[in-house]
Amino acid sequence: MASTAVHKVTPTRLIRWRQTRLGLLFISPWVIGFCVFYLYPFFATLYYSFTTFTGIGNPVFKGLANYSGLLHDATFRTALFNTFYYTIIEVPFSTAAALGLALLLNMNVRGQAVYRTLFYIPSIVPVVASSLIFVWIFQPSFGIVNSLLSDVHINGPAWFFSIPWSKPTFILLGLWGLGQPMVIYLAALQGVPKEMYEVALLEGAGPWQRLRKVTIPMISPIILFNVILSLVLSIQYFTQAQVIESPSGSPGSSTMFYVTYYYQQAFTDLHLGYASAMAFLLFILVLIITVVLLKTSRRWVYYENEQR
Amino acid sequence: MQIVSPQVTSAKGAPSQRQPALRSRRALRRLGASLGKHSVLIVVSAMFALPLVWMVGTSFKTAQQALTLPVVWWPHPFLWSNYPDLFAALPYFRFFWNTFLYAAITIVGVCISSSLTAYGFSRLRWPGRDAVFYVMLMTLILPFVCTLIPLFVMYKRFGWIGGYLPLEVPTFFGSSVFSTFLLRQFFMTIPQSLSEAARIDGASEFYIYRRIILPLAKPAMATVILFQFIYCWNDYLGPLVYISNQNSYPLSLGLALILGDYTTNWAWVMAGATAATAPIVILFFLTQRTFIQGIALTGTKG
Repeated sequence: MASTAVHKVTPTRLIRWRQTRLGLLFISPWVIGFCVFYLYPFFATLYYSFTTFTGIGNPVFKGLANYSGLLHDATFRTALFNTFYYTIIEVPFSTAAALGLALLLNMNVRGQAVYRTLFYIPSIVPVVASSLIFVWIFQPSFGIVNSLLSDVHINGPAWFFSIPWSKPTFILLGLWGLGQPMVIYLAALQGVPKEMYEVALLEGAGPWQRLRKVTIPMISPIILFNVILSLVLSIQYFTQAQVIESPSGSPGSSTMFYVTYYYQQAFTDLHLGYASAMAFLLFILVLIITVVLLKTSRRWVYYENEQR
Repeated sequence: MQIVSPQVTSAKGAPSQRQPALRSRRALRRLGASLGKHSVLIVVSAMFALPLVWMVGTSFKTAQQALTLPVVWWPHPFLWSNYPDLFAALPYFRFFWNTFLYAAITIVGVCISSSLTAYGFSRLRWPGRDAVFYVMLMTLILPFVCTLIPLFVMYKRFGWIGGYLPLEVPTFFGSSVFSTFLLRQFFMTIPQSLSEAARIDGASEFYIYRRIILPLAKPAMATVILFQFIYCWNDYLGPLVYISNQNSYPLSLGLALILGDYTTNWAWVMAGATAATAPIVILFFLTQRTFIQGIALTGTKG
């Protein structure tokens, strides 16, 4: 027994070395995938962004030409504006609505499971199907929405076919899919310990104070996570617009989103260098947004001290 | 019941006259609140259900009836033939089959590579593990356009463009970060003592992974399979970039095709949308528990 102290060092180090080797072995599929499908193409994109490249032959180095081209590109500015417009409205609205519905469902509502299912189903409808459905219900002359509006003597706009209304209609389509975050928020709300509310009640906190001082802080990490993900996704908004608007970006260029323009530059016009510059700028944008959110989150996100 | 009985008893005593009024006012307020909650929920439910109801309804109408004003809520005649007609006009079964194949192969890939990777990130302790794990999570926020062009050029060199290989091969290399994350979260909840006992008995790490952890992780694996299936079923972007031949189209691309070709016949378009949506909704009802738990697992245990 006296010798264990001496021997102990070697086996633990051995075990640690063994575990490290094994750990790397187990994650090796992802490591290979990360290098081949993320790391290499990411740096290749950065390189292409300084070149002129059509996909055939070799890229020709052009320095910052693509970036300065973007500065003077009016369509690029429109695409950037449209994307911001969509993001700035869709993300706060869908977050607030999803959170609101989750809070409502969490208040001992009878039939909670039924409502939850109803709100969730639209978010699993295939994106092409939901796009087609929305084109149809917002069809200017025969769609159900304008028909219902005319019942209350409102002359409905042309929605997807109207320059001022096309983006709001896409936002409505986005809001239809808020079931996903709502289910997440609901699960988070159900995870808030009941005792915390009891203590708050004992200390005379009203419903509003309980919401502000207990509920929101307790689920704030999940809100942050969801907000970041939905921001990143809506900045890459593309699929629905691609399915619905043809030619893409119409009417006018009111639905020319960032990735729509990227896709056009890359796969229609084969300006691969130019598109790569757009891709890299998008990366910078996403990075800035994420970092800013994470930095400011220290003020409003509450982390429990306990470590898992 | 609770509300009525004190009213009866306290009605006798004059001093507590105010109480019943207070009680009933509180009951009224509670009723009002409940009514308010439900009316908000019912209105929102109606708005959420309307597009789907309208889709199914339209799919049973004649082409003319879909374009009738004022709108017809209940189709008459109730027309079934939009479905067979549409399936005859477009190779729908081909699209279904292509989608199934795409889903099946990537499910195999995800199950193998994500579970291995998740094991390495959760059941083994090694320096830098969590830092590497965060690097993996960071790829979630990397926009897909940041890697698209070089990947396209690379696949073209491999001769993979036009087929499903660009969409399938990466899944064998842990490209589904979401699945890896979900499995890792689940593996973390399995007590380490199980592994340690097996190690003392001389079990190899692969044996522990294959014979102890994977059997315990069946519910999590079910969630991963389900989500991967739905991902493939819905995926539009991947096929749009890589699949060019109409015969190889998955359902999503095939569905987008009808909008271009048959915009005049909305009954057909909605029949196509219903045919693509119904299987997923049915699947959801069959697996609801797995579903909701899966979302909760990935969403809340960050």
